[in-house]
Amino acid sequence: MHHVLVDQWSQGASPLHARDPRAKVMVLLIFLVALATTAPDAAVTLTIDAALLVAGILIAGLPPGGLLLRAMAILPFSLTFGLISWLAGDRLRAIGLAEKSYLSTAAVLLLVGTTPLPRLLSGLESMGCPRLLVLLAQFLYRYLFVISEQAQHLRLAAACREGRARKNRRSKFRAAAGALAVLFARSYYRAEGIHQAMLARAFAGRFATLNPLRFRATDGLFTAALAVLLILARLP
Amino acid sequence: MHIPDNFLSTPVWAALDAVSISAVGLMVKRASRELEETRVPLLGVMGAFVFAAQMINFPVGAGTSGHLVGGALLACTLGPAPAVLVMTTIIAIQAIVFQDGGVLALGANVFNMAVAGVLVGYWPFQLWGASRRRTAIFMGGFLSVMASGSLALAELLISGVAMPQAWVFTSLGLFAVNAIIEGAITISVIQALEKVNPGFVQQAKRSSGRALAALSGAGVLLGITGFLLASSAPDGIQRLGQRLGISTKPGFDTPLANYTLGHFESAWLRRAAAGLAGLLLIYAICTAGARMIGRRRSA
Repeated sequence: MHHVLVDQWSQGASPLHARDPRAKVMVLLIFLVALATTAPDAAVTLTIDAALLVAGILIAGLPPGGLLLRAMAILPFSLTFGLISWLAGDRLRAIGLAEKSYLSTAAVLLLVGTTPLPRLLSGLESMGCPRLLVLLAQFLYRYLFVISEQAQHLRLAAACREGRARKNRRSKFRAAAGALAVLFARSYYRAEGIHQAMLARAFAGRFATLNPLRFRATDGLFTAALAVLLILARLP
Repeated sequence: MHIPDNFLSTPVWAALDAVSISAVGLMVKRASRELEETRVPLLGVMGAFVFAAQMINFPVGAGTSGHLVGGALLACTLGPAPAVLVMTTIIAIQAIVFQDGGVLALGANVFNMAVAGVLVGYWPFQLWGASRRRTAIFMGGFLSVMASGSLALAELLISGVAMPQAWVFTSLGLFAVNAIIEGAITISVIQALEKVNPGFVQQAKRSSGRALAALSGAGVLLGITGFLLASSAPDGIQRLGQRLGISTKPGFDTPLANYTLGHFESAWLRRAAAGLAGLLLIYAICTAGARMIGRRRSA
């Protein structure tokens, strides 16, 4: 599955994996803003941005083909809109939509491919994201796969019960609604159980980590160097 | 409808990021005031539930099927402020982990689907939840999807993404179909939920915050229609202004007259500025209205 693969990528040990998540988030934001404000025909800037991205992928030791292929998930959407712009005579925008949205997607993929989500979230928390939202995201990501699997079980069970019986649409619709209600109730009770168990293990409102984040001098240097590079590339 | 990066123009995504950050910040404050500590894991797991719910297909007819979007359902079960936070988290996870929707456009997507989608979805329930319950819940699901879809469309149009008129109306029609499906799913799931445990669904109180609900709902609907009008017919606002006897042109021209950004033309900049000013105005009115009502009620 897609997210499991990206999760595996993020466990690597490259210089890019070792950087503090805050440094990587700042560089990503500068990259995205620089890209968003670049004119679609500024070939030099776009080439430098793309080259930086490829360099990042190679340094991180991620499979370049796999990552660039995965970023193509954006293309159906951007190509459709690009085509309309092209037909409307706005060729510059058409090319810009396709290439810039592709580069942005690949850049986000590079960030999540080199940063485990819990570390990324605690980085975001120390950058000012409300703790409630961060906690919520952590719980959501932890139980996403559990609840999804339960949904698949429900679907399978419904298919087994139904067999070859031809039911009308109305009763199928109601059966699906019932399945969702059951899933809702199970998730609800599961959440209560989880909370009790966490309290019993001395949960005090935040997830403890074994290696807390540290913003080293190298992280500062990394951020500053890339920021200068990206801004210089953007200027012409 | 998750908008990727580089589809929206810089003023549009930047302003919507600012609006979403302040709106979500407000909701975090409200939710942490109302919420007991025990509910935080619950919200996270319910977010996972909405993700998983997309796997369960609802037969719609003609061989197609729809699935739950969830804004109105969450609002009716968890309450509006926690529902906004859960939807915000879902959209953020989709953007960051699954690359579904852009990071710079996150503010726009959060505004469309989490803030407007949930609050507009809760509005009928708050107004008529006690008397016309079934209709209110159906309307909630309908308005939630309709608002999110048309806001996204309006933002793309304001950003100058070329779309033929026919395409715009086709999209609106598709949103309407999806919105009807969402309404039907929301009402049938809530009815099933009440059989499992009636405590899951919020109790609609009579006349609680009615003015606030009306104000926010009206504001968002006004915004949607205004944007669509302004964008699909470029001179719509000006024509309206002339008909009302006010020349609107200088008002839109002056604030950003010398503001040239890259390759964009001033015609759409004016349109974008008008749209953004409208958005900010609506937001300011809603916040100010909410504050005033809150003060009067606590006094």
